[in-house]
Amino acid sequence: MNLSHEREDYLIKILKENFPNDIKDATAIRRSRINVTVAPEKIVDVALFLRDKLAFDHPTGVSAVDYNRESRFEIVYHLSSATNPDQRDILINLKESVPRNSPKATSLVKIWPGVENFERESIEMFGLQFEGHPRPEKLFLNDNWDGPPPMRKEVRFPTD
Amino acid sequence: MSAQKPVQSDDPIELLADSLNVWVGKLSDIVHKVIDTEPIRNVINWARMYSLWPVNITTACCSAEFGAASGARHDLERFGVLPYGSLRQSDLIVIEGTITKKMAKRLRMIYDQMAIPRYVIAMGDCAISGGLFHDSYSIVNGAHEFLPVDVYVPGCPPRPEALEHGIIMLQEKIRSSKVYPQS
Amino acid sequence: MTTTDKPTQENTLGSPSPDEPGAQTLTLSVGPQHSGSGHMRLIVELDGDIILNAQPDPGYVHRGIEKIIELRNIIRSIPVIERPSIIDASNLNHAWVRAIEELQGVEPPARGQYLRCLLNEMNRIMSHLYWLSIYGVFLGHTTMFMWPLGDRELFIDLAESLTGARITYSYLVPGGVRRDLPQGFAEEAIKRTEYFEKRLDEYENIFFKNPLFTSRAKGVGVLSRQKAIELGTTGPTLRGSGVDADLRKDEPYAAYGELDFKVHTRPDGDSYSRVMVHVDEMRESSQLIRQILKKLPSGPVRRKAPIVVPRGEAYGRVESARGECSFYMIGEGGDKPYRARYITGSYRNMAAISAVLEGVRLADMPTSWWSIDYWPVEADR
Repeated sequence: MNLSHEREDYLIKILKENFPNDIKDATAIRRSRINVTVAPEKIVDVALFLRDKLAFDHPTGVSAVDYNRESRFEIVYHLSSATNPDQRDILINLKESVPRNSPKATSLVKIWPGVENFERESIEMFGLQFEGHPRPEKLFLNDNWDGPPPMRKEVRFPTD
Repeated sequence: MSAQKPVQSDDPIELLADSLNVWVGKLSDIVHKVIDTEPIRNVINWARMYSLWPVNITTACCSAEFGAASGARHDLERFGVLPYGSLRQSDLIVIEGTITKKMAKRLRMIYDQMAIPRYVIAMGDCAISGGLFHDSYSIVNGAHEFLPVDVYVPGCPPRPEALEHGIIMLQEKIRSSKVYPQS
Repeated sequence: MTTTDKPTQENTLGSPSPDEPGAQTLTLSVGPQHSGSGHMRLIVELDGDIILNAQPDPGYVHRGIEKIIELRNIIRSIPVIERPSIIDASNLNHAWVRAIEELQGVEPPARGQYLRCLLNEMNRIMSHLYWLSIYGVFLGHTTMFMWPLGDRELFIDLAESLTGARITYSYLVPGGVRRDLPQGFAEEAIKRTEYFEKRLDEYENIFFKNPLFTSRAKGVGVLSRQKAIELGTTGPTLRGSGVDADLRKDEPYAAYGELDFKVHTRPDGDSYSRVMVHVDEMRESSQLIRQILKKLPSGPVRRKAPIVVPRGEAYGRVESARGECSFYMIGEGGDKPYRARYITGSYRNMAAISAVLEGVRLADMPTSWWSIDYWPVEADR
């Protein structure tokens, strides 16, 4: 088992070379885990580059995180590769931040069809909006759910 | 009866039907009483006890233990429990675990469509009181909030033996019950 | 099963006009009370008995686990994160402790790692057997319902003697496992796995070669390699489409790096391939159990780990029975995670349901979608 960070550094170098202004931050947080933070308006370009040039062909999930103290939502696309056996263990966390008062982001369904359900869940659980999402409906919650988006930090439990 | 009606019908057939209704009503009361006497009631209850067919509805993860209980080692069919697809021929709902708000609506709908007599077993802590998920935003804390429950089977999840015990308890309950529930 | 007309059309049954688009299709709502649906609803659009479009409607078991684990400490959360798939509890538990250990920097002792793998593989067999028995029910093959459930009890007994619980173990804790092997476990396990492999040959004769099964599974519900990858499917579904992705090989965690096993794939991507991938995996896991018991090192099973989630983020993932199960955990230094995103194999495979069911006959619907090994409780969380 190779413990060096060569592959991670190489990927980060390529990303920084191609998007010198758009990538705010790219670091290897530990072996085979890379965090890449981009500006929301540039995420489509970076995503296309990751898919077509670096063979990150599928999402393993999409997370939304509510940083209510910083008044922002972070949307994290977890990307992995199945076609390239050498980088199957590498996971890229492609991050973008949207402001809490107008949580609008661009949907990446056209790039990775697999993100559809994850983005739908973020819509109902956090009240995010994804432009260009084909089915922005409820996924898990009741159809007549009238409460606030339950995963937001200000929603507390009665026993809390 | 007919005299109290605001409009007295002159149609002889209707009059006949009205009086027949009264008679049929009285007759059925007598039949009910006769059937509820000890020997006939025992036969009917015996038949009900050993043909408890649960509906094919699974609410959450206790279904894994329900599956294990229906399977080879525990074999619920020896108690006459055979999961069945059609609501109208089923007599039992085994609520297998957590009831979400989305499922509760459907569960009540299913219960209402079933023919009387119908029984409910609440299986697992979640179906009794919410269990591990008692403080969640999307669940109903216990089946008793929208259904009359006959037997509670505690456990998270209950072992198949516990479910068997619950079914035997339900059978005992049916054995001592009346054929026609007081409504 | 209830039938409803499409709201846009008015006279489907009366006088259908073939020119109108959608005039001859019928929309069915299958489930949640249906023997072929489980805890979910499928909205199926039919042309004759060919499925044009099938949309899953999940959420009947959505319990808000991601919210609950934000509010309990990491040890109290273990039973909660097991519940989505209690037939595969150990693997889900492993993803959770892996994320925590990644943040804490705690490495469990070697014996603990091997015992984790042991329970994981037993759980994989149990989960696949449970799935196979339901597959038998969906085909109306009662023997195939009874046999796998009966043989599953072999491993349940083993797991019970190891952990004290039938299916929900909470056996893996940060820093190792809760307890060591009981006396006489190894002999009993070897006996039972050998018996189980013989039983798999019997299954082969009664079921996997049975035309009742092959005619309804071969060439039905095809998911191409390309589609499987871009939809983000995982686990046996992905391997049934010819991709040899398996986290146990690709990112060797716990003791898997030192164990010898194969990743089984089938190239065709139909229901039959997916079923056979499960069967091959059961054989492989059975072999792995014996191998683990042979190679099991001595020493402690657990190392002290604090009940704390250090500041930072981690992505702990394992190969569960239904594919990759992962936790994206963000810590703040308290005893609870700030956010723990829970992504399970079934949740990812949900995207494949409509792709698999398209063009399949209604009669083949239960067997096709169940071949994905979609466990609705695990997907809804």
